[in-house]
Amino acid sequence: MSSLRLVARNEWQLMRRSRVAQIAIALLLVLAGIAAITSIAHRNANDDLRARFQAQANSEFDGQPARHPHRMVHYGHFVFRPLPPLAAFDPGVDAFTGSTIFLEGHRQNSANFGDVRQSSLLARFGQLTPAFVLQALAPLVLIFVGFGLIAREREAGTLRLLTASGASPGAILGGKALALSGVAALMLIPAGLALLWMMAAEGAGAVAAGSLLLGYATYLAVWVAAIAGVSAIASTPRAALIALLAMWAVATVLLPRVAPEAALSVDPLTTKLETDIAIQRELREIGDSHDPDDPHFEEFKTSVLQEYGVDRIEDLPFNYNGLLAMEGETLTSSLFDQYAARETAQEKRHAAIVTSFGVISPTIALNRLSITLAGTGMDGHRRFLEQAEAYRFAIVQQLNQLQAEAVTFADDSTRNSDPVAGRRVRIDPEHWHEVPDFTYRGATTGERLQAAAAPALILLFWLLVAGLFLREARNYVLGAH
Amino acid sequence: MSDSSASQAPIRIDGLSLSRSGRTVLSNLSLSVEAGQAYALLGGNGAGKSTTIAALLGLLPAEGGVMEVAGIDPVEAPEAARRVIGYLPENVALYEQLDAYENIAYFLALGGARPSRAAIDEALDAAGLEADARRLRTADYSKGMRQKVAIAMALLRDVPVLLLDEPTSGLDPRATADFNALVRQLKARGTAILMVTHDLLGAADCADLIGFLAKGRIVEEVATGPNLDVMALHHRYGEAAAA
Amino acid sequence: MALWLHELRLFARQRVAAPALLLLLMLGSMSVWNGLSEIAHQRDVIERIQPQQEADISAVADFVTLDGDPGYAAYYTYHATWDDPSDLAFAALGQRDVAPYVLRVNALALEAQIHNNERYNAELALPGKFDWAFVLTYIAPLVLIVLLHDLASSEREAGRLNLLQSLASNTRTFWIRRVTLRYLLALAVIVLPFLFGAAIAGSSIGDSLAVSAMTALYLTFWTAASLLVGRLRWNSAANAGVLAASWFMIVLVLPALAHLGINAAIPVRQGVELTLAQRETVHAGWDKPKPETMAAFGELYQEWRDTPPIEGGFHWKWYYAFQHLGDVSVEDETLAYREGLEARDRWTRRVGYLLPPVALQHALHRRAETDLRAQLTYQDRIRDYHGRLREFYYPFIFNEQEFSRQDFARAPLWSR
Repeated sequence: MSSLRLVARNEWQLMRRSRVAQIAIALLLVLAGIAAITSIAHRNANDDLRARFQAQANSEFDGQPARHPHRMVHYGHFVFRPLPPLAAFDPGVDAFTGSTIFLEGHRQNSANFGDVRQSSLLARFGQLTPAFVLQALAPLVLIFVGFGLIAREREAGTLRLLTASGASPGAILGGKALALSGVAALMLIPAGLALLWMMAAEGAGAVAAGSLLLGYATYLAVWVAAIAGVSAIASTPRAALIALLAMWAVATVLLPRVAPEAALSVDPLTTKLETDIAIQRELREIGDSHDPDDPHFEEFKTSVLQEYGVDRIEDLPFNYNGLLAMEGETLTSSLFDQYAARETAQEKRHAAIVTSFGVISPTIALNRLSITLAGTGMDGHRRFLEQAEAYRFAIVQQLNQLQAEAVTFADDSTRNSDPVAGRRVRIDPEHWHEVPDFTYRGATTGERLQAAAAPALILLFWLLVAGLFLREARNYVLGAH
Repeated sequence: MSDSSASQAPIRIDGLSLSRSGRTVLSNLSLSVEAGQAYALLGGNGAGKSTTIAALLGLLPAEGGVMEVAGIDPVEAPEAARRVIGYLPENVALYEQLDAYENIAYFLALGGARPSRAAIDEALDAAGLEADARRLRTADYSKGMRQKVAIAMALLRDVPVLLLDEPTSGLDPRATADFNALVRQLKARGTAILMVTHDLLGAADCADLIGFLAKGRIVEEVATGPNLDVMALHHRYGEAAAA
Repeated sequence: MALWLHELRLFARQRVAAPALLLLLMLGSMSVWNGLSEIAHQRDVIERIQPQQEADISAVADFVTLDGDPGYAAYYTYHATWDDPSDLAFAALGQRDVAPYVLRVNALALEAQIHNNERYNAELALPGKFDWAFVLTYIAPLVLIVLLHDLASSEREAGRLNLLQSLASNTRTFWIRRVTLRYLLALAVIVLPFLFGAAIAGSSIGDSLAVSAMTALYLTFWTAASLLVGRLRWNSAANAGVLAASWFMIVLVLPALAHLGINAAIPVRQGVELTLAQRETVHAGWDKPKPETMAAFGELYQEWRDTPPIEGGFHWKWYYAFQHLGDVSVEDETLAYREGLEARDRWTRRVGYLLPPVALQHALHRRAETDLRAQLTYQDRIRDYHGRLREFYYPFIFNEQEFSRQDFARAPLWSR
């Protein structure tokens, strides 16, 4: 074992004196620093802005004058998706999803104003974030520092010298890999510091942050093993470098783009326009609350009259229009939920396909792990959409209930012809304060860890494969091929 | 061959000075080689032997002095000079993915020549490369075989000047003897040959003149012949190299 | 000519040359195929929404014509708009995956509709499309680097450099020939799949030539970079390292930094602000005195100024008047928002002067009409169409004219 450590220490010394290694590592550390600082600042600015808009929307809602409750249903509400603390580490899909939704009665609007549509095509070049630096740049730097680990020494003839002094091929390869692991650990330091900051200043969970770092460490370990192994097997340093660069380009640049195309071709999306038409069609089949002669609502009316033992809706102890609106909203909302569930199921199928590509690209597995733990994947956005829909339903029903209870049926029916009734249906704006504000609840650490299990397993599979590859590569250290 | 080059030595160096990355390598070097003559340049490591060859090829800028190769100044017209020079690097490297014929065809095409297959075979016969090796990729060739391919190229180009860089280093004794025979054969064709070498015995065997190079110039020049005292030379050569 | 063939044979027998070119050819072809099928899918969507849209409108007509109320017709009828892909879009799919290319609008306030998003899976959009523009921008330079990084250094390392130089009748033309051969092969391998796709997609000759010229220029940049690094006379591995690092910085890091800088320098939060503001004015419309609203609308549409005053609590003409006034009230913000987006696009083009990949992407997507500007053009057409829709409904609403089944078919159609 001591010869292994000796080889590692010697390699460290060589790296410290190599200008290429120095420049590459310094470049990575500088970029990692820039990425961490800009990414934290960017997240905080965005999160503050959204909080400010949310506060503005809340106070505008509360500040509405006396109105008919149904008017408030159409005045609606805006909700904004806050950014989880770890979004500063990996913003995930944040720029690609809208951050705000307009909520109103009987309609489900899209989340709008995602950064990607507000930016030039530069947005498609990717973002400089701590996650990107570790996913793409770190392996590249490790390749530059490590492609010659064995190959260069074999070419220079110093490898024979090493074996002559008693080091076994395993110890040489292990020592070299250990030295490169040291470089990898060095690269994790800025990310670790950034995560510590997010924990201390933004309240990121320690378990999620720790798991994130562990995931990245595993990923880099896979690369270290691959680099050391290829360097042992390749005939020349240049061949090792070219092979490793090709592996890197395929794993980190090419496959992450190919996987989504595969998912989309297997399971294509339908447009919002088609979904809207389908929902409208189904709604018409169920019944239209705006249509007074609709059979569904006719039946509903009969059952209500029966329940209260009256013959006319005018005789009900509450405003029938409000109840009708509540029934209508329940119907449309259940339809929205059905469609949302279908959409969610499709997104999960897509995610499963992409995750399975992790078996041929560790970068994909890591990326899935990273956005899941950071809470910035589609999971997080879907939670926002679901909670926004639940909130929409709750406030619309609350307003409908106000219509049923605070507005009389007589006034409601004559509000457009009788100015006095028209004034009376405008209820006390104090009621708007009773409507609760929207609060987004992100996934708990437990939920995120559970969701990250599949990509984590794939990463562990990679670690195993990389370990076996390194074992096999021992046989090539002395050039026995 | 034109009249002007016939009237004087095909290889002529007069007072050549040259430095590389601030270090003087050649200072006031002079020598000349007549047609049909072989000149062996001996010297220790770093004496400037290979630099002399590179200078004649026009690959290095001279700082002083005059050079002529078949009447052409390689500093003024390096490409014209290279057209009349056959050059054998110390370690002839060929394209490993090509066979001997393909290598020769390629390298000669660079200079605009397109020899026939028969001509190539004739040259390879003269250079002594076994017929059944010619179709093999040169990746598996020995140093001597690769050298023979390079000599065949020089023969095909029919150049008046041949520059040989350590041609016999790393060759076994039999291959060395073969090579020296080949040099004599080339001399008989009227080629002027400048070879740099460590091998005094070989030089005495096939060269007409031996120049000892030290600190960038010729410190002694002797003619070979039956009366040459090789042992004495060897003694002096050691001194010259050490000086 | 014989020499070119010699060089070609020599090159083809190199260990990495043929596989690298083959890989590029394969990826180029795959990306073109993917782009073509994506565009076919988009055209298919545009085709298949037409009957669905017709059925939807006829269902709306079924209940609107019960009493022929034009206000309901304008309220419930959604009119489809779409943005046909250009004949070049297959090569650079651009923003068409995240921006809607089909969108339907009704006659209500437009600002609440025009920013609607398309349904897409953001996780799938995040890495970017696998289109030909991607293969050209990202992968082609890597292949060129593989072909050119050891141009001279490999000869030096193999010990052939002096021999080659002693034999070449002109060393300059010798190197030019070698570089040109590699450059042309890479160019052919990347351009051929594109031209093939262009022929299938029916792109114009002008577009095909322009894209080929851009490609040639872009590859020239990377060739020049490789030669420049080669002049340092380092060994092959060092050359490859320097070039790959340059590639990483120029293609990935610097554009990302430029994006960060541009978005920070030109904030466009007006998007959210203007929808918030527009909602306030639209809904304040309910509470404003009706004559005031009608007078303001009459300023804009003089022909409807002298319609009878509104009696009672509600009239459709007042409703549609304040809907439109809501849009008008945020015109300045809309303009500012748009100018912000255009400024971002403009600065991206300027960044292109420094970063060839950005210039290439910008130029390609501009030509393919799949960029931010194309999105804005589509929005302009929607705004124009929305105006025609409103003006189609106004006579029915202001004259209290019955809206019949035939009238549904008379509504202005979206024109390609």
